[in-house]
Formats: sequence, structure tokens, C-alpha cells
Amino acid sequence: MQRTSGGGWFRPLLRKGERFDPEAARRPLLVFEGVHKAYRADAPVLRGLDLTIERGEFVFFTGPSGAGKSTLLRLLYAAEQVDAGRILFMGRDVARLRPESVPFLRRNIGIVFQDFKLIGSWSVWQNVALPLEVLGVAPKVLRTRVGEVLERVGLAGRGDEPAGTLSGGEKQRVAVARAIVCEPALVLADEPTGNLDPQLAVDILGLVEDIHESGVTVLFATHDRSLLDLRPRRVVVLDEGRATDSPLGLVAPGREQRVA
Amino acid sequence: MTPVQRAIRGTRSEWRLHALSVFSVSVAFVCLALALLVVVNVDAVRDAWARSGRASAFLRAGTTDGVAREIEAAVAAAPGVRSVRYVAAAAARDEILAGRSDAVLAALPPEAFPASLEVTLTDDANATRAEEVARLLGALPAVESVDTYRSFTERLAAVLRAGVAAAGLLSLVVLGAVVSVVASTIRLSLQRRSDEVEVLKLIGATDDYVRGPFVIEGAAQGALGSLLAVGIVFSLYAIVAGRFDGELSLLLGGGPRFLPWQLVVTMVVAGGALGAAAAWGSLRKLLTV
Repeated sequence: MQRTSGGGWFRPLLRKGERFDPEAARRPLLVFEGVHKAYRADAPVLRGLDLTIERGEFVFFTGPSGAGKSTLLRLLYAAEQVDAGRILFMGRDVARLRPESVPFLRRNIGIVFQDFKLIGSWSVWQNVALPLEVLGVAPKVLRTRVGEVLERVGLAGRGDEPAGTLSGGEKQRVAVARAIVCEPALVLADEPTGNLDPQLAVDILGLVEDIHESGVTVLFATHDRSLLDLRPRRVVVLDEGRATDSPLGLVAPGREQRVA
Repeated sequence: MTPVQRAIRGTRSEWRLHALSVFSVSVAFVCLALALLVVVNVDAVRDAWARSGRASAFLRAGTTDGVAREIEAAVAAAPGVRSVRYVAAAAARDEILAGRSDAVLAALPPEAFPASLEVTLTDDANATRAEEVARLLGALPAVESVDTYRSFTERLAAVLRAGVAAAGLLSLVVLGAVVSVVASTIRLSLQRRSDEVEVLKLIGATDDYVRGPFVIEGAAQGALGSLLAVGIVFSLYAIVAGRFDGELSLLLGGGPRFLPWQLVVTMVVAGGALGAAAAWGSLRKLLTV
């Protein structure tokens, strides 16, 4: 099983009555098999995508606007349905989940969006605590966990501030905190630096990398080539519905740059 | 955080919208409560008359006072009769003309006003007994006709039936109004809190978890709206009853009545249930994420 950011072993959140399959822990975290998706019949976004992502990997998804980066992530958390093919998350086909099972899939995935998707009128604390409230976590545990996560993203002591009044970088830190507060198996970052200036973008990437260091699998969608050049990470380039996998990244060895 | 706490948080953030909804619901319930108030009081009058056990036996012209007094004594001794009062023709004329300045009535001779025996039955005498006494009186040769005022009670019953039918129709109008107002408010509230709903669904909240606070808000709007309506109607009732107590007592044959508490509780519970159902129905299709 995979180590979580909190140091414990990951165990997926299942619906009542469903049993954890220990065999799933030995399978790849994500498998895309012949995934096809088209909004218009003459312009498919994904054409037979085949990809395997192991536990604990950090993978960049890049490509021009409209290449299907966000679509790929939306398929993963079942906001979209595949037209053909399978997406296996811990051995279960996401595309075949019943609607009532989708929330339980999402509880295992932390998502960070370009537009943050925070509730502006709520405090930082309330925004971060929301996933734990949905899970029905005891208030004492919730307080401890939210405090730890806020400290981890550099927002200790800022919990009472309304989320709407924060700067872009701070909002994204809150969004990251909310994404990891439940210790998910997988973090999806959908253009999380798209609304930030270059230095803040590097800061957020560094934060996500820190989270990855604790064992979380991260899929990071970006069209910002400069971020890909910072470290030699696996990069999947999406273009015209096809994916090109570069396991060692797009940077020539010896030219890695450190994340500030 | 419980669904109730989340509903309170949502209501606070949209309190103007919710206040408007409560007021709109209360307007609909005021109409229903007023109709029910009329029904309750008409029913009270009908009930009072039905239980009053009165009969008037009109004597034939030429019946002497002596015969009338003998009949009075005989009827007074009959079981179920509380009292009998002989009203001679002249006395009847005086009673009718008392407090009136009707020249036509005043010009009529005393013989135009029939003498009568006014019979009052005991409280435990039922309608069957009243009919028996009326039949007994009608069989006497000196008695021309007997009026038990049943036709008046029947007319009141007809009015009551019409009132109940009107209240039933008003209930349908109120149902439509409450469902439409609460559903619109909840839909509007959902739109204004679409960010919250979207985030909730993205982090794995079930539809029931998302719906919970909205349904509670709908139920609260329905219940508070009906409660406010009862308050408004009670205030109006207190003003009217205080100012026209004497007139109303004369008209109704007793003091006016407010809605019984069971009816008030039923209205509030029905308001809450309608509000909850309307909210639930309006959220069948949550924002799709």
C-alpha cells in the first residue's frame, strides 16, 4: 500500500458494504486503456489513449490549449464520461461507476483548479475543513488536521481570513491545502499556475512537489513549458488527440533547474 | 457540521431572500387561515343552534288564555323540557315591535301576531327528542304549527359546507403558492450558492449531503411562513374581537372563536412539509459536475 502524506498507509474510501481489495494496492494506480473522447465527432480530443501511472509518480500533462489536458483530468474524477476505452483507478473502471459511487471516487482524489474554486465568503479554515466535514470527521481530529495542513502550505495563523480577500498565490495554497487535507491517493492539478505570475507559479509547483515527496501521486496539467524545464519529471504531451510519453522529461540531462 | 448548522449558515448568507420567501408564504397562508377562521365560527354557530333545543308552537286564532295555560303546564311536565313560556298575541306584538319604528308592523292589529308557546329543552335532549316534542305539540288541536328552527340550522350547515369547500380550494391555492415560492427561492439560492455546491460535489459530497441544508431551509420557510400567517390572523382577530365583541356575540350567539390549536399545529406542520417537498423537488437535478 502507498504511504500517505500523514505517514499512514493509504486505504481507499469505499462505499458502505464494499470491501477493500488488498490486491488493488499492487496494481498501477491509474491505467488508461484506449480512452477515446470527442465533443465533436470530427475533432476527437483523445484518440485511443494508453497510459499507465504507478503509485507515487509525478507526471506533467502538457500540450496546447484544447489538447485535452483538462478533459483527461475531468474523465478521471468522472465529471466527463469516456466515449470508449477504460480508465482504471486502483483497478476499478471509473467510466463504469454508478452515479452514486462517484462521490466515493472523488474522496480519494484531491483536485486543484486554475480558478481555485474556493468559497470566497467563507474563511480559509472553513474552505480547508470542508472535505473533512463531508467525511464526517470528528471536530477534534478536524481541527488538528486542518491546522497541520495550513501550516504545511504556509498559511498557519491565517485560518480566520475570508478566502475571497487572499492574493492569487495564497488562494492556490488554500486550494492545495483543501486537496490534501483528506490525504488522497491522487492529486490532480489542473493548470494550477495558470492565474499566477511566474514566481508564484514556481512556488506552487514547489508546494505540490513537497506533497508528492510524501508519497502522493500527482498529475500536473500545465501548458507552461518553463515549469517542465525545472526538473526532469515524466511528461505526457497531448496534441491532436494523441499522447507522447517522455518518462525522463523534456529537459536534457544535466540541465535541471531547482524549484525555488 | 450538521445539516441544520449548514442550513443556518446558508440562511444567514441569503437572509433577505429567505425573509422574502417567508413573507410570500405567509400571505398565502393568511388567506387560508382567514377562510378557516370563518369556517370555525360558522360551525360554532351551527353547533350552538343545533344543540339549543328550541321550539315555537304557534296557537290557532281564538285559543283562549286558559287553554294556552293548560297546554303550557302539560308541556312543562314532559320529559326533556326545561321551560315553557306562553307568549300571548299582544305580548308577541310588543316583542316584535320593541326597538323598531316600523309603521307598517305597528299598524297591524294584535290578532295578526299569533300567540305561541316558546319551549326550551334541557341540554341533554338530543335532536330526536326535540322532534318528538315538536310532533307532540303539533298533534294538539290548539296548535297550528311548530317551528324547531331546524331549517335555520340546515341553512347554516349549507353555508358551512360551502365554507369548507372554499377552504379546500384555498388550500390548493396555498399549496401551489407555497410550492412555487419555496421552489423558486431554493432554486435561486442554489444558483447563488452554485460555487459551494460545485465545490461540495468535487470533493465527494453525495447528493443527499448537498440537498440536506436546502431541504431544511425549505421546510423552515414553509413552517415560519405559516406561523407568521397565524400571528397576523391572530392580531387581526384580537383587534376585531376586541372592538366588536358585543356585535359579534349577538351575531354568532356567543363569543367569536380563534382557530383551535390543533388546526394551527396542522397548518405549521403542513407548511414545513410542503416547503421541504418543494425544496426537494426543485433540487432533483443538482448542478452537474
